Amino acid sequence: MPDINEKVAQLENFIMKKCLWQFHSRAWDRKRQNENILGMAAKLLCGEEVDTSKPEDKCYWVDASYLADSYREKFDWLSTMSDDEIRELMLALKARIDFVTVDGSLNAELTDPRY
Amino acid sequence: MSAKKKEYGTFNGITMNCELKTKERSGVINPIFTCQPAGAQFASIGIRDCIGIVHGGQGCVMFVRLLISQHFKESFEIASSSVHEDGAVFGALNRVEEAVDVLLMRYPDVKVIPIITTCSTEVIGDDVDGVVIKLNEELLSTKYAGREVHLIPIHCPSFVGSMVTGYDTAVKDFVAYFAEKSEPNGKINLLTGWVNPGDVTELKHLLSEMEIDATVLFEIEGFDSPLMPDGNHVSHGNTTIADLKDTANAYGTYALNRYEGTKAAKYLENKFSIPSIIGPTPIGIRNTDTFLKNLKKMTGKPIPESLVRERGRALDALTDLVHMFLADKKVAIYGNPDLVIGLAEFCLDLEMKPKLLLLGDDNVTYGDDPRIKALQENVDYDMEIVANADLWDLEDRIANQGLELDLILGHSKGRFVAIDHNIPMVRVGFPTYDRAGLHRYPVVGYGGATWLAEQMANALFTDMEYKKNKEWVLNVW
Amino acid sequence: MPYHEFDCSKCIPERKKHAVVKGPEDDLTKALPLGYLNTIPGSISERGCAYCGAKHVIGTPMKDVIHISHGPTGCTYDTWQTKRYISDNGNFQLKRTFATDVKEKHIVFGAEKLLKQNIIEAFKAFPDIRRMTIYQTCATALIGDDIDAIAQEVMDEMPDVDIFVCNSPGFGGPSQSGGHHKINIAWINQKVGNVEPEITSDYVINYVGEYNIQGDQEVMLDYFKRMGIQVLSSFTGNGSYDDLRAMHRAHLNVLECARSAEYICNELRVRYGIPRLDIDGFGFEPLSSSLMKIAKFFGIEERAQKIIDEETARWKPELEWYKERLKGKKICLWPGGSKLWHWANVIHEEMGLDVVSVYTKFGHQGDMEKGIARCEVGALAIDDPNELEGLEAMYKLKPDIILTGKRPGEVAKKIRVPYLNAHAYHNGPYKGYEGWVRFARDIYNAIYSPIHRLSYLDISKDEIPEDGGFMTQRMYSDVNLPEEVTKSDSMREYTGKYNIIDDLHKKEYPEFNKKQ
Repeated sequence: MPDINEKVAQLENFIMKKCLWQFHSRAWDRKRQNENILGMAAKLLCGEEVDTSKPEDKCYWVDASYLADSYREKFDWLSTMSDDEIRELMLALKARIDFVTVDGSLNAELTDPRY
Repeated sequence: MSAKKKEYGTFNGITMNCELKTKERSGVINPIFTCQPAGAQFASIGIRDCIGIVHGGQGCVMFVRLLISQHFKESFEIASSSVHEDGAVFGALNRVEEAVDVLLMRYPDVKVIPIITTCSTEVIGDDVDGVVIKLNEELLSTKYAGREVHLIPIHCPSFVGSMVTGYDTAVKDFVAYFAEKSEPNGKINLLTGWVNPGDVTELKHLLSEMEIDATVLFEIEGFDSPLMPDGNHVSHGNTTIADLKDTANAYGTYALNRYEGTKAAKYLENKFSIPSIIGPTPIGIRNTDTFLKNLKKMTGKPIPESLVRERGRALDALTDLVHMFLADKKVAIYGNPDLVIGLAEFCLDLEMKPKLLLLGDDNVTYGDDPRIKALQENVDYDMEIVANADLWDLEDRIANQGLELDLILGHSKGRFVAIDHNIPMVRVGFPTYDRAGLHRYPVVGYGGATWLAEQMANALFTDMEYKKNKEWVLNVW
Repeated sequence: MPYHEFDCSKCIPERKKHAVVKGPEDDLTKALPLGYLNTIPGSISERGCAYCGAKHVIGTPMKDVIHISHGPTGCTYDTWQTKRYISDNGNFQLKRTFATDVKEKHIVFGAEKLLKQNIIEAFKAFPDIRRMTIYQTCATALIGDDIDAIAQEVMDEMPDVDIFVCNSPGFGGPSQSGGHHKINIAWINQKVGNVEPEITSDYVINYVGEYNIQGDQEVMLDYFKRMGIQVLSSFTGNGSYDDLRAMHRAHLNVLECARSAEYICNELRVRYGIPRLDIDGFGFEPLSSSLMKIAKFFGIEERAQKIIDEETARWKPELEWYKERLKGKKICLWPGGSKLWHWANVIHEEMGLDVVSVYTKFGHQGDMEKGIARCEVGALAIDDPNELEGLEAMYKLKPDIILTGKRPGEVAKKIRVPYLNAHAYHNGPYKGYEGWVRFARDIYNAIYSPIHRLSYLDISKDEIPEDGGFMTQRMYSDVNLPEEVTKSDSMREYTGKYNIIDDLHKKEYPEFNKKQ
């Protein structure tokens, strides 16, 4: 079974190859996307309810559920993890995605205040 | 714009004649021409070791390169000074300086750099002539000392003239920059105007049969370049600096096109007393005859038997077509003015009826053109010649004013007029991107006459078959 | 992820940070090319201008509009008939282009009167078209014509017409992307919210950043209709002016080309609370998951699943046929801005091609982030490439095919690298399931072209092979394939028609009753 870093790397790789939501053009937008989509994905992976009554949340949920479903399908080791472990893993993933797309990003346009 | 008209009588009270008019609308719907910088860029690619810098926004280059590339299915190098916002506000001459330096650093073979202005840099008033002096004194005499580099400002405000005048101006500017008197070279200068590689081949063939040496501006046969096993062939013009210098040493200049080369011919005449002949564009048998007669006059060389035979073959081919198929076919023609006029003259010789000639810019001298005057004097049916015209002048007449046509002659930008109104069309001129390989064929000379007439006939034949309109006629021929 | 320095650009050191090679252990924080910076003059970059970004790329696909450029004719002429964005109204916008034909006297005395005359003439010439977009150009921006005022004047005088003004002169920004931005913002500021649409479905989207190249939009529209989704507007391919004024009433913005149209989605999100969903219309898996995401948003997953199942069953065997024959071939994705990331990864996973390079002519660093994230390790990523760099990259990487524009494609041809037109496509559409197979088929035909192979033979030196009077693509592609592939019953070559769009116009769709 891979260690947590290896797991994060696998999860990250999937996002990088298959998803587009993490690359919105502004830092605050990216943070918001990462927070909501990865947050919801963590809940879904732990079998928790998510509130999708607002259109905005529904849209996050769409990307989050695609992510959660794909993760379950692609990464067998997820099924052996407890909810707490999954939460921890997803937090680490969020930190990593935040770093790659925002905090460590070399994209000079992220801080432009306008769209 | 008036010319003496012969009266050919009236029909139903309407006088039949040929009228030169100007488009009535102020704007342009589907333009026939692009703007001046495109003409200068087209001229520039005819010169070897030459990469132009277009001083303006990037689109002024990117799209012209695309246009040329669409026409020839080849790529040509032209650079931009990439004027952005700051340049448009504060002046952009620093962009020219940088462009020259970058170009020279990365293209070691480049020797000729025309700096072609555009509307934006003319409006902001960038002193391109001044920056050339500065570059010559500073950059070129220090960093590039010892390297042969020629910077040539070419003013092409897009709000003046058209691609045709841009071409005319550029040819003159190149010649004026380089032409240098030394020893008589025993050659003539042949200014071809805006033509295709196939035309240059045909013209050189005629000259060679006449045993005439010529400096051809421009040597563009290389635009039809091969795919070679070493995989590193590029398309470029082959007129050299030496050729351009030598234009001052010719004993005559022949500019085939009145509107594309006359400025240069007149420059050489005024500056170096080189006599010049302007046109007529050798499209069709009769104009080619005149071309040869003028060559004979200019050079003293006889017209050889081989050309008599060649002409005879062309006449033989045309005779097969004219009375039976081409006679009375109504034609509309648009494009570069010399081409349009030459085609109209040829069509008349072919017994066809050019009904509408569209000249796509506001050149006020069209009325002085003896060829147009001759049409006005002698045409015995209704013919309109419209200056400053656009393609809506053609389509509106077809769609809304009852103009009936059997054939359209023009470049690819008018393709939808033909398509939407089910009129056969022969692509001719520039650009012809929607037909394969037309740049390889001439429209000038006897060869061009044959090719054109047969293209027209085949277009009519195909149309008869598609429309099932007496298609059985061709069962015997 | 080290920066890559081209030999040909050593003398312009500022280029060094515009290219990187994706290393095995690297991520986007190690190196990312600079992007969307002023072009180096004289570098022979492939970029266009902000006018073309606005008029040519985004504005003109709107189909029921007179597109008039206020300036000399060149801008208009040059950006006319160089695209393959079709429309279902007889291609009005492809066939017609308008220029006010500004001359020297107007530069001196102003061209506002000329503009007004032009607007009236154009509407008169086309009485069925009552919508217009006016594009500013360099010349009229510099002389300071007040286009907005003239447009308003005409609208006041002619109540049945509506005019949109796009002030995006050619010099406005490093590339065409500046124009994408300006026209997005101008549209939402001037026009969105002006029309109240008829809502016919419970599921209403705007389809954004899609330009209907060879019918891409119509292919996607087919899926949306089969799902009972109302596409309120298309921004802008095959899109209607008045539909686009009603964008504010959609439930969801479905975004394809983020590079050219994310701005309007972002603004619709801020101003009207309409969420933005980024999708991929290219490739089976990305398209399937995109359709499913949209369906999930509306709770109609079974409708999407039906399409996914049907289309996959129909076309997968054909995609697999090409994949077996394209495996391991090297490809450069050298488009304009967004297709590098739309195609990277999926072209590897579903066609077996290795992406050895991505470039963007006018994109931003965000496009490079997406592209580098998706391409293969070792790939060379180039921002704002120029002629010499493109050549150097092709010599170094020896790609089997490049996907790029027409003119760079001619450069590639000369050094015998086959090309497909990434902007206009060869035999598209390329979106949709069938489109993706068409794409694979075009790539296959280019790579295995018998004529292309002949270009390597030097008849003056080489042994001229006696392999008969012809070769076929398959005689090349199948030579080393195992029998289970060459004789497979489960895979087949493309079986579709040449024109797949006209049939869509005749198609009938199921009725889905509106609940609310």
